[in-house]
Amino acid sequence: MNYNNNNHPFHLVDYSPWPLTGAIGVMTLVTGMIKWFHEFNLNLLMLGYLIVILTMYQWWRDICRESTFQGKHTIKVSKGLRWGMILFIMSEVFFFLSFFWAFFHSSLSPNIEIGMMWPPMSIITFNPFQIPLLNTIILISSGVTVTWTHHSLMENNFSQAIQSLFITITLGIYFSIIQSYEYFEASFTIADCIYGSTFFMATGFHGLHVIIGTIFLFICFIRLLNYHFSNIHHFGFEAAAWYWHFVDVVWLFLYIFVYWWGK
Amino acid sequence: MPDMIKSPADLKTAPFDARFPNQNQTRHCYQSYLDFYRCQKVRGESYEPCNYFKRVYKSLCPNEWVDKWDTQRAEGTFPGRI
Repeated sequence: MNYNNNNHPFHLVDYSPWPLTGAIGVMTLVTGMIKWFHEFNLNLLMLGYLIVILTMYQWWRDICRESTFQGKHTIKVSKGLRWGMILFIMSEVFFFLSFFWAFFHSSLSPNIEIGMMWPPMSIITFNPFQIPLLNTIILISSGVTVTWTHHSLMENNFSQAIQSLFITITLGIYFSIIQSYEYFEASFTIADCIYGSTFFMATGFHGLHVIIGTIFLFICFIRLLNYHFSNIHHFGFEAAAWYWHFVDVVWLFLYIFVYWWGK
Repeated sequence: MPDMIKSPADLKTAPFDARFPNQNQTRHCYQSYLDFYRCQKVRGESYEPCNYFKRVYKSLCPNEWVDKWDTQRAEGTFPGRI
């Protein structure tokens, strides 16, 4: 059956319910969040999570179907997706920029209320040459292994692609486990003056992005095992790799300025 | 001992400090407070030149702030490094 009766290379998508369910889902999610804050009730929030997760699963599954199985993703479509991913990552860069701005605003000229010193008195900071350094090595290594995956894909080396992507994901999980241990062992909390606020907001959102990136890479792993990627067409993987490098770069900024300079 | 103000010529305030050139002199006040007590700690309480800093902060700082910081120092909760 000839799907593309078009005189153009673009993908005009079929009708889909997922944008609507997505909108309903996020509305439920944020309303549920307010209900949690004010009434200590998690039900609406959980419902919101469920609708959003179901939407994501089914929407992205449809994209895999349209591309891998139906062949709707021409080079033009792929280019459009590339720009989309670049713009999305740019928006995330600005998101993190705001937390870094808050950090520098507070730390470059500390207020008299915290003694005009950074870190403020009695804050016991993490030694940047212990666990944070290990985390840095882990993420940089995972950047190397994900590049190895990409090259393996492009060279049609299926077994090495699987091995290197598996190592990348493992390193990502390792980072998350170690960082949550650090959080547990921290001598200060988010409530401990502006130091705690800036530290946990910045590293917290970074950690969330590591988890998101790990899940993205894991989905790519499943797709790789199911032979979705070719040596010349694997944009889903490239998008995941770009996101992963972005997460790595944010960590490097965090490590250098929050952990090291800020100690 | 407070100086007696007999004429306008006796009116004095903190001199210009290029480290704090702008209208907001909060950090000038705080820094002088810190410097006085640091000077005292290093040089001892009878060292007269330390009182320069004391005159500066007495002139610049709101009295409430000075009282609050004195209380914090007494309780051991003062956030600055002396």
